[in-house]
Amino acid sequence: MIDIMLMAYRDLSERKARTILTLLGIAVGIAAIVSLVSVGYGMQEAITGELTAFADLITVMPGKFAGMSYVELGSFTDRDIRDIRRIGGVKEVTAMMHGAAEVEYRDERKPVFVFGGDTDALSSFYVEPVGLAEGRWLRENDYKVCVIGNRVATEFFDEPIHVNDKLRINGEKFIVAGVFNKASTLYATDVDPHIFITLRAARDVLGNEKAKYKYITVRVYNINEVEEIAERIEDRINDNHGLDEFATAMTMGSMLERINSVFSILRGVLVGIAAIALVVASIGIMNTMLMAVMERTHEIGVMKAIGAKNRDVLSLFLVESCIVSLMGGLAGCIVGVILARVVSLIVSSVLEIEFVPDVKAGVLLAGVGVAMCVGMLSGFYPARKASKMSPVEAVRYG
Amino acid sequence: MIIRVEHLSKVYRMGKVEVPALRDVNLEIEEGEFLAIMGPSGSGKSTLLNIIGCLDKPTGGRVFIDGANTASLSENELAEVRRDKVGFVFQQFNLIHSLNALENVSLPMFFAGVKRSERLKRAEELLAKVGLRERMHHKPMEMSGGQQQRVAIARALANDPKIIIGDEPTGNVDTEAGNVIMGILGDLNREGKTIIVVTHDPGIAAHAKRVIRMRDGRLFGEE
Ligand SMILES: Nc1ncnc2c1ncn2[C@@H]1O[C@H](COP(=O)(O)OP(=O)(O)OP(=O)(O)O)[C@@H](O)[C@H]1O
Ligand SMILES: [Mg+2]
Repeated sequence: MIDIMLMAYRDLSERKARTILTLLGIAVGIAAIVSLVSVGYGMQEAITGELTAFADLITVMPGKFAGMSYVELGSFTDRDIRDIRRIGGVKEVTAMMHGAAEVEYRDERKPVFVFGGDTDALSSFYVEPVGLAEGRWLRENDYKVCVIGNRVATEFFDEPIHVNDKLRINGEKFIVAGVFNKASTLYATDVDPHIFITLRAARDVLGNEKAKYKYITVRVYNINEVEEIAERIEDRINDNHGLDEFATAMTMGSMLERINSVFSILRGVLVGIAAIALVVASIGIMNTMLMAVMERTHEIGVMKAIGAKNRDVLSLFLVESCIVSLMGGLAGCIVGVILARVVSLIVSSVLEIEFVPDVKAGVLLAGVGVAMCVGMLSGFYPARKASKMSPVEAVRYG
Repeated sequence: MIIRVEHLSKVYRMGKVEVPALRDVNLEIEEGEFLAIMGPSGSGKSTLLNIIGCLDKPTGGRVFIDGANTASLSENELAEVRRDKVGFVFQQFNLIHSLNALENVSLPMFFAGVKRSERLKRAEELLAKVGLRERMHHKPMEMSGGQQQRVAIARALANDPKIIIGDEPTGNVDTEAGNVIMGILGDLNREGKTIIVVTHDPGIAAHAKRVIRMRDGRLFGEE
């Protein structure tokens, strides 16, 4: 076995250019798989890692998810909130309301989306990850005070808005207490274009019609009970509204499930793309192996003339394509890991998400394995062709 | 009797044209003979040697090698005959260029599954026997034609076959090197090997104990 590998190695190093081309074909395919999958895992981990910090959290929404889209069916009432508070194991309940309001600043009027909610809850959702550029966050006993998203402050009105500026929300005077930083992609649509006020202020400012709760967050004492409590919340609210499927209570578990399923689809697509790259590569291998057979017709004839059996020739060529594909696979893994780093750096600076690629040993093993399989399969036909040649004709050739 | 050829015929088909290369050839060769085959170009000498050496198959007739009817042998068994019973020496040497002399000589033993250390040892002995011990790490391209042909003879001896077949083994080397090569073949014959060579050169044929002639695919005249 070692001998046959040595022989194959010699033949390969005699034909460097061709060998390198073949090797490159495989390496590119494997590098694509390894890097894409590793980047995918890394992103998934970064996002799920962030979400597991909220493991004791249940988010209740008045509507349901149909596939990727959300259909709102109504809004929650004060009674819903009271009922949720009474469920055993519930630690705290915060309701949020939101709606479009007319905002006036220095004689300019624009519709802006206003969020009212529990100041602590909003703080942990938005202030902690995004941070404030100026001023301070809302306090529980603030009334006509608001904190505004970065785009509200800098883009919405002709003149920029700063801390202590005054604006009117649906006609009511508010003082700007703080301005958010520009948010990363993950939070941009939630924070940048919005105004945040206290729940008390929201009840008064957002007209009655819209002043109902669109969003309830619940924290539980025991993380292990979170799924069970979420179900009870759904049942209770559905009862209140006389509908079978009115409320959706999401735990991070179910959110993680959704995210994970999105990522596994994404990975499937990426692997599919890489698989196409590999098929192309395998055609390349087959082509170069066929060329090798052609080039070495004479040599094969000589080997058969001095006693090589068909299977000796077959295994020589198979070992050769194995070596090429193994080296290609290994090179692909190395390049893939480097590529994953580079792609991660670019993606994380574009999307402003912190993450490092997660290179799983299984992915590397699979990469090498796939490379070997591709090499064997695409080397088999040329190898067989080589082994079947008649010795006289092959010797006479060339 | 180590080789018996009975009513052998070979017809090459080139499109619609049939070229008869051998017509009803009968030949018996005893173990230990040194036989030269002479004849004009195109008379069928190479065709006959290729069939005896199991490189090619006849259109009709039978060939027995060491008692075995080659027509009844499988593809693998024919490879074994080529590997173990017949050593073939070509006019063009036909060494593998990527391998050095030692590796070329050990190649038939590699196919026979001989252990690496053992076959390298034997290859070295064989190269010494043809006077090329100092050249054993050289590649074919670094050697003269005569030297390459001696490597090819050493390779033909690798699995200690009873029969050595040479198709114009001196055809591509100068007279002096040709005489060295024929000298080696003569020595091998004295050690008991059966030698069959094709040649155009009467001086070369003079090394043989028996000379037969061919013309138009037929054997005639023995001297
Ligand atoms: N592969 C082939 N296809 C068709 N015809 C062939 C083939 N090989 C040989 N022949 C023909 O068969 C006849 C015998 O050829 P062969 O090579 O045996 O002659 P030879 O005696 O060895 O000649 P030379 O001395 O030139 O080597 C010739 O007429 C040749 O043209
Ligand atoms: Mg000839």
